[in-house]
Amino acid sequence: MSDLTIRATTQLNQIANGIGRLLLSPLGSLPAFFGAVVVAIVTGILMLIAFKYTSHQSAMKKIRSGIKAELLALSLFKDSIAVSLGSQWRIVAGALKSILVSLIPIACMIVPVTLLLGQLSLWWQARPLQVGEDTVITLNLAGNEKSSWPEVDLEPSPAVQTNVGPVRIRSKRSICWNLQALEPGYHNLVFHVDGQNVEKQLAVGQHPMRTSIQRPAWNWTDVVLYPAEPPFDPKSPVKSIEIQYPPSSGWATGTQSWLIFWFIGSTIVAFCFRGVFKVTL
Amino acid sequence: MPFAKAMRISSRSELFGFLVTNRRPFSPLNRLEYAGPFITRDQRRQKRGRVRKQLRFWELMRRSLRIIVWLCLLVFVVPNSAHAYVGPGAGFALAGSFFAVFAAIFSAFLMLLTWPARLLIRHFWGRKAPAKARFKRVVILGLDGLDHELTAKMLEEGQLPNLAKLRDQGGFQSLRSTLPPISPVAWSSFQTGVNPGKHNIFDFLVPDEQTYLPKMSSVEIRAPKKIWRLGKWALPFTRSDIRLLRKSKPFWSILSDYGIFSCILRVPITFPPEKLHGVQLSAMCVPDLRGTQGEFTRFTTKPLEQDKTYGGDVVAVTRHGKVVSCELAGPPHPSKPKLGPLKVTLQITIKDQNQATLKVGGETLVLRRGEYTDWVSVTFRSGFSIRVSGVCKFLLLSVEPDFELYVTPINIDPEKPAMQIGYPSVYPIYLAKRQGPYATLGLAEDTWGLNEQVLSDDHFYQQCHNTDLERESMFFDALDKVPRGLCVCVFDGTDRMQHMFWRYHDQQHPARPAEIPALHANAIGDLYQRMDQLVGRTMEKCEGTDTMLMVLSDHGFNSFRRGIDLNRWLEENGYLKVDDARRGEDYLAGIDWQKTRAFAIGLTGIFLNLKDRFSQGIVEDGDEANQLRNEIVERLSGLIDPLTETKAFRRIYQAAMVYSGPYKNQAPDLIIGYERGYRVSWEAANGQTSRDVFHSNTRAWSGDHCVDPSVVPGVLFCSQSLLTEQPRLVDIGPTVLDLFGIAAPAYMDGKALSIGERNGSADHAVETTPVTVT
Repeated sequence: MSDLTIRATTQLNQIANGIGRLLLSPLGSLPAFFGAVVVAIVTGILMLIAFKYTSHQSAMKKIRSGIKAELLALSLFKDSIAVSLGSQWRIVAGALKSILVSLIPIACMIVPVTLLLGQLSLWWQARPLQVGEDTVITLNLAGNEKSSWPEVDLEPSPAVQTNVGPVRIRSKRSICWNLQALEPGYHNLVFHVDGQNVEKQLAVGQHPMRTSIQRPAWNWTDVVLYPAEPPFDPKSPVKSIEIQYPPSSGWATGTQSWLIFWFIGSTIVAFCFRGVFKVTL
Repeated sequence: MPFAKAMRISSRSELFGFLVTNRRPFSPLNRLEYAGPFITRDQRRQKRGRVRKQLRFWELMRRSLRIIVWLCLLVFVVPNSAHAYVGPGAGFALAGSFFAVFAAIFSAFLMLLTWPARLLIRHFWGRKAPAKARFKRVVILGLDGLDHELTAKMLEEGQLPNLAKLRDQGGFQSLRSTLPPISPVAWSSFQTGVNPGKHNIFDFLVPDEQTYLPKMSSVEIRAPKKIWRLGKWALPFTRSDIRLLRKSKPFWSILSDYGIFSCILRVPITFPPEKLHGVQLSAMCVPDLRGTQGEFTRFTTKPLEQDKTYGGDVVAVTRHGKVVSCELAGPPHPSKPKLGPLKVTLQITIKDQNQATLKVGGETLVLRRGEYTDWVSVTFRSGFSIRVSGVCKFLLLSVEPDFELYVTPINIDPEKPAMQIGYPSVYPIYLAKRQGPYATLGLAEDTWGLNEQVLSDDHFYQQCHNTDLERESMFFDALDKVPRGLCVCVFDGTDRMQHMFWRYHDQQHPARPAEIPALHANAIGDLYQRMDQLVGRTMEKCEGTDTMLMVLSDHGFNSFRRGIDLNRWLEENGYLKVDDARRGEDYLAGIDWQKTRAFAIGLTGIFLNLKDRFSQGIVEDGDEANQLRNEIVERLSGLIDPLTETKAFRRIYQAAMVYSGPYKNQAPDLIIGYERGYRVSWEAANGQTSRDVFHSNTRAWSGDHCVDPSVVPGVLFCSQSLLTEQPRLVDIGPTVLDLFGIAAPAYMDGKALSIGERNGSADHAVETTPVTVT
C-alpha cells in the first residue's frame, strides 16, 4: 500500500479514536455481554439503514423474489428433475447476482465498518493487565540483520517494574522486556532509541479498557488492525512495539469470538429489523 | 348488476408479515442500472449515452461507486488479514445468498438421492394409466368467448396467420357450447365432462330458497364456526368456511389419480381450489378484499348523483387547497362488524393539471392523469395482530374542475393471500414472487367501471391488456415448468373486451356512438389478432416438444341490442304480482309471493315458485307445474319485438327435459334460448320489474352470449387433425383422458374426440357424437 493510503488511514484512525473513545466509553462500565449485544444492535441497525440508501433496492427486491420463487418452484415442480435442476441453477445465479448488487453497499460500508471494528478490537481483542501481572513487551527494530544495532533502553516508570530485560534477539532484530504492572490506569512507556524517544501505551486495570496491543509499523494492514496509536515513521529505527496482553474471556467478547459474535449478531439484528425499515437484504 | 353486491362475504383474514412497499417498475432503465456488467461494451456505451442525458447526476454517482467497488475488489485481491473486516454489508449479502445456495445444493442433493427411490415407488405402487399416453404433454389454451363465425371470417381474410397455421397443421371446428352458453356453466362442463344437471352450475346466481335473494351458484362462504364474543367484540378463531358448489370431478383430478401432473391456470369455477397433483390458480368467483365480485371506488369532488351506481362505491371528497384526504374502504371489520369496513387513509397532493402524489401506507406514489399506477399494496389493520393485505391500482381521472380518482377493486394480495386462491396455497405466492403482483379477482377486468362511465374505453382497454400480459407470463412459465402432463390456461380478457366493445363492431347497435374513436373502431378485430399472436408465441414455446395443443373457447359472441324484461312479461301475463311502488328495487324485493307463480332473476331463465322448492312457493310440483311450464313456453315463444317485428326467442327449454343428473332440479325451470341480438334485460337480471318488456341496450356492455347455444358456438383448434364432426365442450375432458391413455368414467356425458395420428391417419373411427342440447 502506498504511503498516501497509510497516511489517510492514520488520519481516519485519529478521527475514529476520538469518536470511539466517546461513544464506546460505556463499554468500560457495562457487563461485557450486554455491551456486546448493544453494539451488535446499534451497528446492525445503522448498517441496515446505510444498506437501504446505498443499495439498488428494487433490483435487490427483484433478485430476492426470484430466488424465493425458485425455492418454491423446487417444491411445486419436483416431478421433473430437469425443471428442478434449472431452478437450482437459477437460485445459485440469483445468489451471485445479489452479491454483485451488494458490492456498492459493501464498498460504501467497508471504511466505516473497518474503523468501527478497529475500535471494538481495542476493547475486546485483549484484556488489560492486572496489578501484579507480568507481560512481555517487544520492540522490533527496523532494518535487516546487517544493519547497525542501536542503543535502546526503557525509561523507568512507577507504573511498571522490569523483571527481566532487555533481551536482544539479533536474528529477529527484537528487544524484549518482562514487566510487572504496578499501578492501574493508562500509562505511557518511554523507550530511548539512539537518543530518540518513542512511546507505547500500556493499560492496567480490573475493568475492561482500551488496550493497544501494538504500536504498528508503517504497514497498512497493521495500521488498520491496531488503530489506537500512530504508526512508526518508515525512517524511524523502531519498526513496532508490541505488548502481550492476556486474552479476553467470554463468548461474546472473548479474543477468539468477539468478531464472530458481532458479525452474526449485527446480521441477525439487521434481518430482524429489515421489515421495520422496509429494507430488502 | 346483482353479482357485485350480492357476493359480499364476511370473510375474516389474519395475515402476518410486512406491508409490501410499492414496487418500482422494472423498466429497461432500471435493468440497465444493475445489469451493467452483463452487457457488451458497445451496448453499454450506447445505453450509457442515452441514460446520461436523462440521469447525469446518477451516472456520476454510479461511476464514483464503480471506482470504489474496483478499489475494494483490489483490496480483497491483496491477501492480508484485513479481509475479516468486510462488515455486515457483505454479511447481509452473503448470509442471504448462502442460505439460497445452501438450499439449492441441499435440495439438488436430496432430489438426486431420492430420485431412484421415488421412481421405483411410482413404478411399483403408483396407479398407472391402462394405455400409453399419446403425447407427453397436452396444452389447452382457453380464449373465453372467441366466436366461431368471426374467427372463421378473419381466417378466410388471412388476418389470423397463427391460427391458420394451427388449423392447417391439425384442425379447426366450431365447438358446441352448453345450455346456457355462459362461462360458469360452460367451463364447469369443460372441466367435468358432464352436463349441468350433474355439475350443478346453471348460472352465475341462484335464488336462495328461503329468502329469494340471489346467491353465488358456485361458491358458498360461511362465517367462521368458532367466534368468541366479548361484549361488542367478536373474535373469530377459525377461517371462513368456503365451499365449492360445483359438483362432479374435474378431469385433471382423474389425471392426478394416475400421477399425471397438471397446471391449471385461471379456469373459471375453480374457487375454492381443489386438491390435485399439480398446481392451480383459481379464477371466476375469487372475491375481492371487500368480499364482492369486484367493486371499484371512485373519489370525486362532484356532488353525488341520486342514481344508483352498480359495481362500485362513489365517495364524495373535499379538496382543501391542493390536498385531498380520503379513506379507502377494505374488508369488513373482523371483530366488530358494526364498525363497518376497515379503512386505509389516502392523501393526495395535487401538483398540476396532470400530476399528483398519493401517500398510502407510508409510501408515496406519483399519479399521472390517465395512467394507471402499478399494483399498490394496501394493508388494512385492526389492532396489533390483524392485517389484511390487498393490491389495487390507482388512476387519476381529472384534477380540474373536479378532482376524480378511480381505484380498481382491491384484489387479494397474491403474495400474502387472505384466503386460499390456489393449490397448493404457495402457488399464487410463487407466481407473485416470480412476476410481481397480479390480478387475483375472479373477474379481473372492471367492466362495471366502463359500464358506469367511470372509466373510458382506453382505461378499460389498458386493464384488459395488462391482465393479458400478466396471464401470458404465468402461462409461459407453466409451459417451461411442465414438460410432461397437462397445462390449461384461460384468457378471459377476450370475453370482457367483446362484452364492452361490441358496439363498435355492430353497426346497428343502439349504444354505438355517432363518432367512433379511431383507436377502438376495430377493437374486436384487433383483439382477435392479439390472441392470434398469443397463439403464435404458444406454438413457438411448444415447438420441438411432444405436445398436443388445443385452442378453444367456451362460447361465441353476438350483439346485445335489446333486453327483455321477463318479469314484466310474466306480470303482464298474470304469472307475477309486484308492488308498483317497489318495482324498481333489486332482488325481487317488491314481489307478492302469494300471488306469484313464476319469476326471473339472473341471466338464464324463469323459475316457478314451487311449493317444494321455495319458502313461499304456491305452485304444486307435478301436473300443475308441468302445465304451467308448457303454458309459459307456448305463450312466450311467440313473443315478437315490436321494434324489429321479429321473434325474440329461438327456443325455450324445459330444464327437466334437457338436463340429466342429480342436480337438475336446481336449474331454472325454463332456460331461455334468445335469438341473435337479444338477452334478458338488465332490470330482470337484477330481479326488478320494469314497465316495458323490451328495452334497447344503450350501455357499453354491448356484446353478449346469453342466447341460444346454436347462435354462439365456440372454436376448437387442434395441432392434430380432428376427425370428429360437431365436437362439444363436454368432449374435451374425455379427450384429454384418452390422450393420456385413461378411459373416461361412465358418468361423463362427453365422448373422446377422434384425434388423428401424427402421420395423418385416425386411431379412432370417425364418428359423430350426439349433441346434448338440441
